[in-house]
Amino acid sequence: MKVWVDRNICDNHGQCAIAAPDNFSLDADGVLQYKEDFPDADLEYIEDAMDVCPVQAIFLKGEQ
Amino acid sequence: MPTTADTVPYLDISASDFAMASEAVRDARDAHWYARTNYGIAVLSYEDVSTLMKSPRMIQGSAKWPQHHGVHDGLFHDWWAKNLLVLEGEDHHRIRRLANPAFSPRKIKALGDRFDELANELIDQWIDSGEVEFVEGFAAPFATRVLCIMLGIDEDEWPTINRLASTVGAALGVNIKAEIQEIDAALEELHRYADQLISDRQQNPKDDFVTRLVDASRDGDSLSDAQLQNLLVLLIFGGMDTTRNQLGLAMQSFIRQPHQWELLASRPEELAEAAVEESLRVNPTTRWVTREVVDTFQHKDLTFHPGDTVHMFTYASGTDPEVFSDPTRINLEAERKPHYAFGGGVHHCLGHFVARSDMQAALPALATRITNLGIVEGGDEWMPDSGNTGPVRLKIAFDKREASETAQG
Repeated sequence: MKVWVDRNICDNHGQCAIAAPDNFSLDADGVLQYKEDFPDADLEYIEDAMDVCPVQAIFLKGEQ
Repeated sequence: MPTTADTVPYLDISASDFAMASEAVRDARDAHWYARTNYGIAVLSYEDVSTLMKSPRMIQGSAKWPQHHGVHDGLFHDWWAKNLLVLEGEDHHRIRRLANPAFSPRKIKALGDRFDELANELIDQWIDSGEVEFVEGFAAPFATRVLCIMLGIDEDEWPTINRLASTVGAALGVNIKAEIQEIDAALEELHRYADQLISDRQQNPKDDFVTRLVDASRDGDSLSDAQLQNLLVLLIFGGMDTTRNQLGLAMQSFIRQPHQWELLASRPEELAEAAVEESLRVNPTTRWVTREVVDTFQHKDLTFHPGDTVHMFTYASGTDPEVFSDPTRINLEAERKPHYAFGGGVHHCLGHFVARSDMQAALPALATRITNLGIVEGGDEWMPDSGNTGPVRLKIAFDKREASETAQG
């Protein structure tokens, strides 16, 4: 599975970067940067990030 | 180097007749993206509120609120200093990380039917009388009983919780010092409620919100009893007045636009979300959000310096004609950009999924049961339209909607 953020919805609040800092961060301009791939053990944190996103812009895509 | 030009508009935000929903504020926004005020910079335009609200170069601006108003010790002072609203950096993130899963929208959604039942139960109490004082008859009991449902407090105790939350809420008013004894006493009672809930769920875990907070853990870390207590009190403090006020403001907006109310009544499930978002956009209870600058930085023609106070004007940005067509009016069928009535960035409102979910139950329940709404002459009284606003009293006359009307949907 890969992380996918819908950039049309993402508003760069950065709550995902609090929930899963290894995968999401805001750059110096406050724009979200993220990694599509993540270790299995981090799934729980990715799910927290998806849940907490105020505008619900984070999705998981594909099966392993 | 001068950072403000003479052409930048000025707003006296302490004036007794200052109002957010006014020509003065809209004219200022149309003239320039920000205004100077007697107490900091006011950011007015949608584009700039959107950018600066989330800026990592600013922190939440009310950490020293009690001190600025002469309160230097006591229960409220100490509670405020440790609450999530004013914590920053890793102290803030750690608690948010632990607390967030309890607020998962999936978990909150499961409560939608219960919120809907509650709304209808309250409406039943006055629907045959053709008139209701909306704050007392709906907004206050609804907002407080939603909290009771969330926290697992007996709903019959809502008047007590309502009284305590309102008293502590007065701490955000400029009269905090005069009222601090009552505020501290109410806070002590809220602490007792919180302690009871925490120890009960520690001994008897349930499938509920408080248990999820009590059990929350991550990488071996969990919330201490003191942190749990602080957080539960924050939920009561932050969740009651805001929801009560927002429901009253939503009614005010829909009373001005009966066609939109009828549209909601005809397609309640489909338009519930738009009804809540549009009410928040055109008539937010949180009229501004305050930040304090921590790093020097340039934004457009303005240099921000550490210690500067910056207000993000949510009403002005939510009704910016650059971004919204027919900006001050609700349009349930329009595509709208997101508003900032819940703030933004790392301090984005923690309870917004709860607020959205309960209001998405309340507004359609009301719309499908009452029509021809009007404010009874002399029956309304409002808080000042500045900080957090809403109706003190809102007497509404209405017709009971006939069953056949709602069936047309």
